[in-house]
Formats: sequence, structure tokens, C-alpha cells
Amino acid sequence: MSTGASETLLEGGGVDLADESAAEIAARSPLELFWRRLRRDKVALTALTIVGIMIFIGIFAPLIVKLFGLPNPNTQNDDLLDDFGSPTGPSGAHPFGVDERGRDVLARVLYGSRVSLEAALISAVLIVVIGVTAGLITGYFRGRIDTIISRVMDLFLAFPVLVLAVGLGVACADGCLGGVIQPGLPVVIFVIVLTTWPYMARIVRGQVLSLREREFVEASRSLGASDRRIIFREILPNLVAPIIVYATVLIPQNIIYEASLSFLGVGVDPDKPSWGAMISDATSIFQDAWWFMVFPGLALLITVLAFNIVGDGLQDALNPRTSK
Amino acid sequence: MHRSHLRFLVVSMLAVLALVVAACGGDDNDSGSSSGGSSTTAKKSDASATAGTDNTKAAEVQGKKGGTVNMLAGSDVDFLDPGRSYFTQGYMVIYPTQRTLYSFKPQDSAKPVPDLAESEPEISADKKTITVKIRKGVKFSPPVDREVTSKDVKYAFERFFSENVGGQYSDFFKPIEGTPSAPTKGVKPISGIETPDDNTIVFHLKEPAAVGVAAALVMPISAPVPEDYAKKFDAKNPSTYNTHLVATGPYMVKNDTAGNTVGYKAGKSIELVRNPNWDGSTDYRPAYLDGVNIRTNASDANVASKQVLDGTSMLFDANPPANIVKEVATKIKDQYTQIPSGGYRYFPINTTIKPFDNVDVRRAVAAGFDRNAARLARGGKFTADLPTHFLPPEFPGFEQAGGYEGPGYDFLSTKNEKGDPALAASYMKKAGFPSGKYTGSEEFLMVSANVDPNKAQAEVAKAQFEKLGFKIRLRLVPQDAVYNDWCQVPAKKVAVCGGAGWFKDFADPQSMLQPVFAGFTIPKNKNALNNNMAQLRDPKVDAAMKAAALLDGDERLQAWADIDKMITNDVPAIPFVWDKTTLIRSKNVNAVANGYYTAWDFAWTSLK
Repeated sequence: MSTGASETLLEGGGVDLADESAAEIAARSPLELFWRRLRRDKVALTALTIVGIMIFIGIFAPLIVKLFGLPNPNTQNDDLLDDFGSPTGPSGAHPFGVDERGRDVLARVLYGSRVSLEAALISAVLIVVIGVTAGLITGYFRGRIDTIISRVMDLFLAFPVLVLAVGLGVACADGCLGGVIQPGLPVVIFVIVLTTWPYMARIVRGQVLSLREREFVEASRSLGASDRRIIFREILPNLVAPIIVYATVLIPQNIIYEASLSFLGVGVDPDKPSWGAMISDATSIFQDAWWFMVFPGLALLITVLAFNIVGDGLQDALNPRTSK
Repeated sequence: MHRSHLRFLVVSMLAVLALVVAACGGDDNDSGSSSGGSSTTAKKSDASATAGTDNTKAAEVQGKKGGTVNMLAGSDVDFLDPGRSYFTQGYMVIYPTQRTLYSFKPQDSAKPVPDLAESEPEISADKKTITVKIRKGVKFSPPVDREVTSKDVKYAFERFFSENVGGQYSDFFKPIEGTPSAPTKGVKPISGIETPDDNTIVFHLKEPAAVGVAAALVMPISAPVPEDYAKKFDAKNPSTYNTHLVATGPYMVKNDTAGNTVGYKAGKSIELVRNPNWDGSTDYRPAYLDGVNIRTNASDANVASKQVLDGTSMLFDANPPANIVKEVATKIKDQYTQIPSGGYRYFPINTTIKPFDNVDVRRAVAAGFDRNAARLARGGKFTADLPTHFLPPEFPGFEQAGGYEGPGYDFLSTKNEKGDPALAASYMKKAGFPSGKYTGSEEFLMVSANVDPNKAQAEVAKAQFEKLGFKIRLRLVPQDAVYNDWCQVPAKKVAVCGGAGWFKDFADPQSMLQPVFAGFTIPKNKNALNNNMAQLRDPKVDAAMKAAALLDGDERLQAWADIDKMITNDVPAIPFVWDKTTLIRSKNVNAVANGYYTAWDFAWTSLK
């Protein structure tokens, strides 16, 4: 591995020596060290559990809804509205109350996690793939290809993001790119990826620019390694840490991005409840029906906070020199 | 501080913040909590009886003369020029200030009475000529100051068809001979309008449509405009008569001696004062008030409504927000008047798209439809009645078509407010779907506006169709695109429109049914705008309409009521509300509403 690992070994080893007997001084892999540091961070572990719970809810939402005896999130029930159309609040049968169509808010919040997580995770993966590829190519090869792609990136970065997003959302309401992008969630993912990949690419490009000048790369090259080998065996492994760090920032950012887009009405599928859309619908009746905004809002807050804290924790665990 | 301690602090602060936000949930006005709301069997008496103040009684009151009333309005008039206005707010100011040939008393919005005219219109036997006698002694306000003649009414019609004025409802008057097919450059004479003397005006028609045209003479187009004075303003594009008005009614928008309408501050306020040249003996209106001040920028409807309810001598212009309606109906129980809005709202079903071309499928949809839920999306039973046919309450032909009970079809009955799944299934079976549900897998397109209440009512409609097995794709678009770009364009193949409304222009059933349901009004070009969104082409209905257009009096009302029943039986659309307009006032105002333009009537309102 590169010298990066041995640096970690030295520092990590230094802290651990105090705890252990001399006989057990052995080389720990970076992964083990990372794990130990993470395990010590109680707040990050709590957040990680919450993230795990949210993902669990996202995957098993239909089952959970059935278990709690809640109605389907799309079942409208006008018996739960008063004579003026105002919804009833939290009660035994409906712990989070109902919305203006009589739909159970708890069921909708549970299902809403699917939309948020799907959008955030899929976009994050795509952004990482596209961003890293672009960053690697431009950072390593420089020259004309760097100029072209960097200018394209600058163009995307210069766009007013939300305006572009809403515009794309409306233009793609019937699907775009010849049916590749279907209306609904794919549109949201398309918009998020299109407007966010340059940030990832820029960060990766910066890292690659500094890495390619390092001695071990020069050493590799002087040994006759091909570009491909250098990229995959020398540079990419050193990018893993910053990529993970940025990806963990990306996910909660994407969750909020998706919520903002559905708040504005972009990519809303009337069949799939989404936290952002629920909050948007709740603004007009907030004074009479606080539960309709508070619960999806809390769900959003808790999820984003948890992801952010996990991201922080990962960052600390990967780069201990920045922890103090 | 150690980093993880700092993080702990942040986390706990945020948790506290979240709790604070949750607690600050505003006043939990716990509306009567209502699981199992009482909407079981038709509570027709609550729903159809107009609650609040009885408007007819209010109109009979001999009011105190004098005083000024302040009105708060959230939006401005479209125009004050009677040739240009086509909007409730505009009408609200125009009718107390301009005398049309015929108009409506607050007590009866179904039968117009002679206003500028002296007597009922005379219709020739061949239904191609209308003769109207103009009242003597009606004078224009300053600065014109002279008596009104038939030539002033003729000029009003002619300027309506000019480009600079651009009247918005020319279709109703196209049957008049000599009317241009497109707006004219400059005011051109209309050969079909004759003024044999100063007090007689005759309309010659190309076709036997006199009954319909005579009914349309209530519209602002027939308010007189003096040519000698207005000519120079109408020469400008657009006409500047809007800010140089003269009046013939008991009130006028305040102007100066040169004729400039200084009382109109666009987007801010309108001041009405008495018309010094108005002679009360020539008019049926009492005109108690000395003046009206309208503030047209009261954009926060909640704040404005509360000011009106708590204050003195104030009126609110239009429907208050839902929470205010709730308050006046349940807590204050007074200070409001409800009148039928004079229209129907419906979900058109595209009869050219299979399987909706099968009438039993449409009947199944109607039978299973929870119309109460759709009404709740618009504010519930205090704001509307559930229709059983199309002609709305207090409209000519309503009673003949069955009134609130309607023709009594089982698929659209007062006994079935929430949808009857068994009945729906039986109609589906009749249509050829033995399971009682639709078995196809294609998605049908429904288009709706992306804001409430239209979005809300569309969501309800979608759920109703899905109950019967139809897969619906609900597409949300901006409000101004719903009709122009989607529902009214046959080429777009919208299966169900997420809601449409049709409101009266004048008191004649032909104008309420023909534009929306006649097969012969559908344009040939599939991309042209089409009012018959259901694309109903029923030869029996079309033939009946053509015959009924020629009838008069009670015969006419009965014929159109029968057409209403025929259309209902065809179910080209699901009518889901007959709206009621709620108008609120301060305690000390004896406010009277006009059922024609569904707003407060300044010429009948007084202070207590």
C-alpha cells in the first residue's frame, strides 16, 4: 500500500500502545484502526443505529404498516375529516393524525422514507461514479480534455441550481431523453445527479492533481507502469477516504435536495408520499393541523442529522489528525 | 472542548429546538373532532337551506339613509368600463353605477326586471326581432349631464365589438345582424341595431335566437355610453374610457369636473359617491348609503376577514378563507349571508376514450363516487350542496329539473353521498365487466392544477376511479395550463379532467347547458379549445337543444329542464358541487347580496 497507510499505523499505534501490553504490539490494518476509532465515538454509533433503523423502515415499510394495523398510505377516508374538511389529530388509531384527505400520516411518513432514501442513495452512487470518473480523467490527464470537461463543470456550477431543477422537472414531466427518464422519482434523481456531479468531480480532480505529483506515483511510472495501472492501483485507493467522506455528506444533502424538489412540486408522484411534498401540503393548514407538518419535518430532521453525524464520525475515524 | 462533547451539545440543542417547534403548533382550535362525521343519509335540510342571514328579508328592510361603508377586497376589479369587464369584482362596482337595460333585484336572481328599459322586451313571433323601450328621465352623471337616449345603448354595443374595447362575451350577441366576426379597428356601426326614436331600440337577428339574446341584455354591454363624450377615449388603444367614466346608476366612481375618474386608484382603492343626476323615482333601487370605500389590496384574507367581523361598517368582498367560514357558521352564527354561486363544478369524463364511451361504465363511476369527499376538498357542506343534475339552485329550470332531489337516478342521488360500491359494481357488470371492476391495465390521464383546492379535489377523484379498478395517472400542471393546454384540447386525450366549473352569465338555461354539452359546439380542429370537454355527442340531446332554443317562457324552462335530465342520464361528467358564496359583514351593516353577480349589492345595503 502507499505510504499513507504507514502514517496511520504510526499514529494509531502510538495511542493504542498506552492501553496494551508490549507483547501485543502488532501491526493493525487501517480497517481495524478505523473501526476502533469509530467504536469509541458513541454519538456517531447512535447516529449509525438511527440510520440503520431508517433504512430498515425504508425497506420494510409495507410490513411495518401492516404490523401496526395502519391503513394503506393512499387510502382516503373522509370520515376522519370534520364538516369543514379539517383533519383529526393524533389519536389511538392514528398516532400521527391524518392529512386533509383522511390519509394516515404515520403510514405516509414511513413510506416517505423510501422515496427519500431511494432518491438520496441512488443519486449518491451515480454522482460518485460520474464525479470520480470525470475527476480522475481531468486530474490525471490534464491537457485539452481537462479544459473541456472543466469548462463543462463550470457551466453546470454556474447555473442557479433550484431554478434549473424546477425547469428540468417541468420539462421532464412526461419523461425525457426518449423515455429513459420516466416521470416521478427518476426525474428527481436525474435532476439531482445533473446538478451535483461537478462538485464531486472538482474535489476528486483536486485530490488527483496533488496525488499524481507524489513520489510513489513517480516511482511507479519510472518502473514502467501504464497509466491505467497507476490510476487504479496507486491513485484510486488513496481517493477512497475523501470519496467516502464526501459521499457521507452527499447523502443527507441529497435527502434535503429531494425534499426541496418535492416541496416545489418537481417529480411528485401522487401515489408515493414524500416528506417534502407532505410538508408543502401542510403549510396552508399548519395553524389548524400542526401534526401534518411536524411529523414529516421531524422525520426529515432526524434522518439528515443522523447521516450528518455518521459522516462526521467517519471523517474523524478516517483522518484522526483532524479530530482535535 | 472535545469534539464529541461539542457534537452532543449540538444534537441536544437541535432536539430541544425540534420540540419547541412542535409545541408552537399554533392554537389548536380543536374543530369539533369528528371521527365518523355525520354525513350518512342526506342531511338535505342542513345542506340546502342557506344558513346565516336571510337575504330576501334583509332586502325588504327599510334601511337608514346615509353613512359610508368600507369594503376590504383582496383583488382589484378587472375593469370599470362596462364594455370590458367580465369578472365578479368588476360587476360589483358596475351594477350600482351603470344601468343596464335589465337587471336583477336581490330577492330574485332568476327573473330580471326592467332597469334602463321601461318594460319587458318585445319579441317578434319569428323570434328574430327584439324591441326595447327606454325609460325617460335617466340622466348621465357629470360631466355629461344629459338624458340617456337609445343611441347611447347602440353605441355601447358598437364599441364592445371594437378592438380598443374588446368585449369578452361577444358570442352571446353574434346573432345580431351586422356584428363583425372579428374585433373592428375603430368603432363601426352595427346594421342590425336600429334606433327609430330616442326611446326605442330594436335588435334584428340573423337567426331565431331572440329569447337567448333578450336574456343576455342584463350583461354590462347594455349600459349606455355617450358617444360624443366617449369617442375620443375609445379612439385610444386600449380605450381610456376606463378612467373617464360617466354613470347612470345611483352611485358613481368619484370623478373631477373634467371627467377624470379620480376615485379609482388601480390596485389600491375605489371610491363610490352618490350620482347627483340620479333620479330615485326612475329606479327600483333604494340606495341608502351615501358612499362606499373599497380597499382593493387587502391581500391577507384572514386578517381582512377578522377586521370585518370585529369592526364596524365593513364588508368583505368574496368568500373568506375556510377557517373564517367555520368560525361564522359555528361560533358567531351571524354576520354572514350565503347565496348560490349560480354554477356547477364537475369532473368531465372523455366519452371518446374506451371504456368511458360506454354509458354504463360512466354510471358506475357516478354511483361509486364519494362526492362528499370531493366537496370536503373544497370546504365541506357549508360551502356547497351536492348536485343531482346540472342546472344550479335558484336558476331558471332548476325546479323543473327536480330541484335538490333531481331526476332521481340511482347513480346520482341525494341518498348516495359517499358512493355505493354495490351499485357501482352492478353497473360495471351491465357494461360487460363481470367482476364488477375494470380489468384493463392501461393508464388513463387525469390533469389538474397543482394548487389546492383543485389538486385536492383531483386526488379525491383519482381515488374514486381507482376503487373501480381504473389506473389513473394524475398529472399536475400550473392553473392556467389546465384548460388551455390540456382539458380543452381533444388531441391531448385527457380521460378525466381534474375539475371544471361553469357559472352563469345570465338567467337562461341554454347558456348553462349548450356550450358544455352540445355535440354541435365541438370544434372540428382537434387542437382548438373546446368547452364540451366530455365531447358528448348525443343526437337526442342536440336535437332537443336546437328545438328548445326557439321556445319562450315556461315552455322554455320545462324544455331545458328536460334536456338537463337527459344529460344527467348520459353522465358525461360527475357534478360534485353546487357552490354557495359566503359573504361576511360587520355587525352594524344590514348588507344585502345580489344573487346575479354573487357579491354585496351597494345599492340595497344600509347601516343599522
